[in-house]
Amino acid sequence: MGDYILRTTNLSKQYKDQWALDDVNISIKKGSIYGFIGQNGAGKSTLIKLITGLAYPTRGELELFGHSSAKELVQARKRIGTIIESPALYPHMNAIENLEVHRLLKGIPGKKCVKKTLSLVGLQDAGNKKAKNFSLGMKQRLGLGIALLGDPEFLILDEPINGLDPMGVVEIRELLKRLAFEHGITILISSHILSELHLLATHYGIIHKGKLLEQLSAVELNEKCQQYIHMKVDDPNKAATILETRLKTSHYEVLPDGTIKLFGYLDNPGKVSAILFHEGLIVEQFMPMREDLEAYFTNRIGGGYHE
Amino acid sequence: MSNLVKSELFKLRKDRSFWTLVLIIMALAVSYPPFVYFVLGIKSTSMKEILSAIALEGVNTYIVKFVPCILAGFFISSEYSIGTMKSIAASGNSRIRIYFSKLLVFSLGAAVIALIFPLIMPSVGLLFFGFYDMPRSDYIIQTVGLTILYACAFASVMALFAILFTDSGKTIGFLIISVSLFDTIMYTFAQKFKIVDIIYNYSVSKLFLDITKFNLGNEELFKLMIIPILTFLLVGWIGSFIFQKKEIM
Repeated sequence: MGDYILRTTNLSKQYKDQWALDDVNISIKKGSIYGFIGQNGAGKSTLIKLITGLAYPTRGELELFGHSSAKELVQARKRIGTIIESPALYPHMNAIENLEVHRLLKGIPGKKCVKKTLSLVGLQDAGNKKAKNFSLGMKQRLGLGIALLGDPEFLILDEPINGLDPMGVVEIRELLKRLAFEHGITILISSHILSELHLLATHYGIIHKGKLLEQLSAVELNEKCQQYIHMKVDDPNKAATILETRLKTSHYEVLPDGTIKLFGYLDNPGKVSAILFHEGLIVEQFMPMREDLEAYFTNRIGGGYHE
Repeated sequence: MSNLVKSELFKLRKDRSFWTLVLIIMALAVSYPPFVYFVLGIKSTSMKEILSAIALEGVNTYIVKFVPCILAGFFISSEYSIGTMKSIAASGNSRIRIYFSKLLVFSLGAAVIALIFPLIMPSVGLLFFGFYDMPRSDYIIQTVGLTILYACAFASVMALFAILFTDSGKTIGFLIISVSLFDTIMYTFAQKFKIVDIIYNYSVSKLFLDITKFNLGNEELFKLMIIPILTFLLVGWIGSFIFQKKEIM
């Protein structure tokens, strides 16, 4: 198994004439929090379904905990906890009963773990409330609780912070960090909330149209995230012309709100501000900044900046 | 596999559709003898007539063939629509075990439903009509045993379609229509094709009508026992094979 919990080799999945996954080679290190990023329909859920055994690959290999044969993979999945697309709850059962179904399913002895799990996800006061009366955030917490039953070594969470209030997001983030860093649980997490993922993940995988574009660590991402000068001026069009004529650069982007990102002159911002001022522009904002995950992701999948 | 069966049993215990069906059938079974006694004015009848009424008037035939269709929809197919089938399939248990544990517990539910009328109605009937012409205990045991076998065989067929469809409404609708039309279609084709006639004569749907007959010969009894067992195993195997290949979306 080595250091890796999950490894895929040319993993592909075809639905009719469309490749939902195309030769994906992903590797997730033990103890990492792997942020899985992609647009809707990019192939995130398909990959998660292949890992969890809900669907079968058209070609390629999947290795979980060092095992890759079909029989071994079934056994290896006992060491996984999942939330796939939405928390799987029985609406007519209360929280305790929902956990009890999964406790029995996983063959966990004793009922102590049910109360412990409820406390862990902050639902200790809602144990007797029916799942159908839960808010989306409470459902997410209960779904996470179910995934955590049996102390899994690998958690696969598809959009686990959907519907959570800001406090809930912070709590779940801290809980996931604790699980990863204190208990050594490896986490694969897909989320559309990239800013949140940025605060959590130690590694990233970017998937687009079924292809894994890039895998990188948080450190590598920080190195790759471009620095730029953030500017707000009274006339963005005139500023753009000045950047191209006076500063001879096209490496900038004018955002819809009129702010400008200038990817250059970071070693000499004074020259930029002096020229803009000299040309009669009113500079309202001017500061060096770094791209965040969202910008990097948009750039990587071809959302594009002006070059 | 015991984990899976325990989990399914817990779900059946908490299944509201199951308990609603059980209570409705219990109410019908309890109210039938007083209805005969007070409304129809029949003050004396034999236990054999009561049992014949259950069998020949087809009360329990309808219960065994139709009521579990509803349970199949709510107990099996709904797991797809609420998303719980995903967590079960991803739990690290083989699909074959998952299918058979579901089938076993669903069959148990179907058997409970099938036995309510034959057990409760005669018991209540005793209060009104006494023990006159009470059948021998071996007949009662044999009929109860056969009812369980046939309920399980029907459950196996229903589970196959319930696992195929991913929506409880579709499952219930399809099964009720299929069960309603099966005998008529098979009977029509049996008139024209010899092979269909043989298949129909050995089908659980046809043989089920004979399980309450008195004085069954050994050969006939063996046939009545072996066909539902084979049906359960064969259809169960086909169902598990389909479930193993099925991708859960």
